Amino acid sequence: MSADEIETPPWRRLLINRFVLVPAAIAMAIVLWNVYVSTHNHGVVAGRVVDAAGQPVSGATVVLWVLNFTTYVEKTSATTDSTGRFVITDNDSHNIRLAAEKPGVGRSPRVPVRLYFRAQDIEVREPLTISGAS
Amino acid sequence: MHRYPRWPIHLVLVGVSFLMLIPFYWVLKTSVTGENIFAYPPSILPKSPHPFYYVDVWYYIPFARYFANSVAVSMIAVIANVVLNAMAGYALTRDFPAKAFVLLLFLSCMMVPFQATIIPAYLITGRLGLLDSYLGLALPQFSTIVCIFVFKASFDAVPRSLIDAARIDGLAEWRIVWKVMLPLAKGAIATNVILAFIWSWNNFLWPLIVTRSADMQTLPLGLARFLSYQEDTTGALYAFCIMVLAPGILLFLLAQKEFIRGLTSGATKG
Repeated sequence: MSADEIETPPWRRLLINRFVLVPAAIAMAIVLWNVYVSTHNHGVVAGRVVDAAGQPVSGATVVLWVLNFTTYVEKTSATTDSTGRFVITDNDSHNIRLAAEKPGVGRSPRVPVRLYFRAQDIEVREPLTISGAS
Repeated sequence: MHRYPRWPIHLVLVGVSFLMLIPFYWVLKTSVTGENIFAYPPSILPKSPHPFYYVDVWYYIPFARYFANSVAVSMIAVIANVVLNAMAGYALTRDFPAKAFVLLLFLSCMMVPFQATIIPAYLITGRLGLLDSYLGLALPQFSTIVCIFVFKASFDAVPRSLIDAARIDGLAEWRIVWKVMLPLAKGAIATNVILAFIWSWNNFLWPLIVTRSADMQTLPLGLARFLSYQEDTTGALYAFCIMVLAPGILLFLLAQKEFIRGLTSGATKG
């Protein structure tokens, strides 16, 4: 037994060592992550729809597809407001696709959106761009 | 005193270490890129890495449940290993009739593969009513001969006078093991913990046979199930491998000093 071990109180040797500190740090990270998840999992997916010229498109239908194991199935839809903004509130997946369509204006390609956890609240950065009249 | 420079051998060892780490790096890289492992020329650095394959694995199968099962089974196996192997190792340091025969029997049993004893092991576990339970999953790994010899080597290094002194003080045999021998055999304990954990953690065949419900499956079974579900799974498969490997690697890194000491204890005796 070294001189340091003799001088160090037993509780300190039991608590301040790598076998306690590393699992404690991991446990702390897990707790913090779960707190973050539980406060950001309302299933809100928001974004914007624009036309080829970059102008907002109102009244466009935005469809949300979710991954159903191996294929994407249509889950829900929302309509854009006058600023081209849409908000979907009942996403429960972590692997989704979005597409916008407006009769007479055109449709956008399906955009894959990956989330860090199910029902994560997200603001899609890139607007959905409608082009080509259908 | 060294009569020759040591840096060349260190340089070679560093190079060999990097070579050993290449497969791990490749698995890690593929888990965050999902790129085709047969792509030529292969890319050394990951392109557009992302963690979403890990998210897929977490949700495609009940990963948390499998993980909890593996942890529970491994914990039981580790505790049983340390306790039973320490007792057996201590017994082998004592003198008793036919000790050489027992040692020979132990060594010869090491040559019998588990596959050869799996049917009796299954029948015994079934008779005990432990099929499809954590205890039944851990039962065949309650004691391993290699780890018994690790304890024996460690206990052999303890001076006999110390044991005699404990006996004169009135300690029973099991208290000698608990109070005298085990505190002096931390390296052997760490070796037992790591080996028992890794063997239990990676075990596939026994859980495959002894589990009946999906809720009792462990991570290696989950990996097989995952492969049967998914077709294009390169990224997710490698992410799964990393998630399965991580606890064992972490445990080894935490206890590697004691592990090496445990493996080499007794090697320099005399």
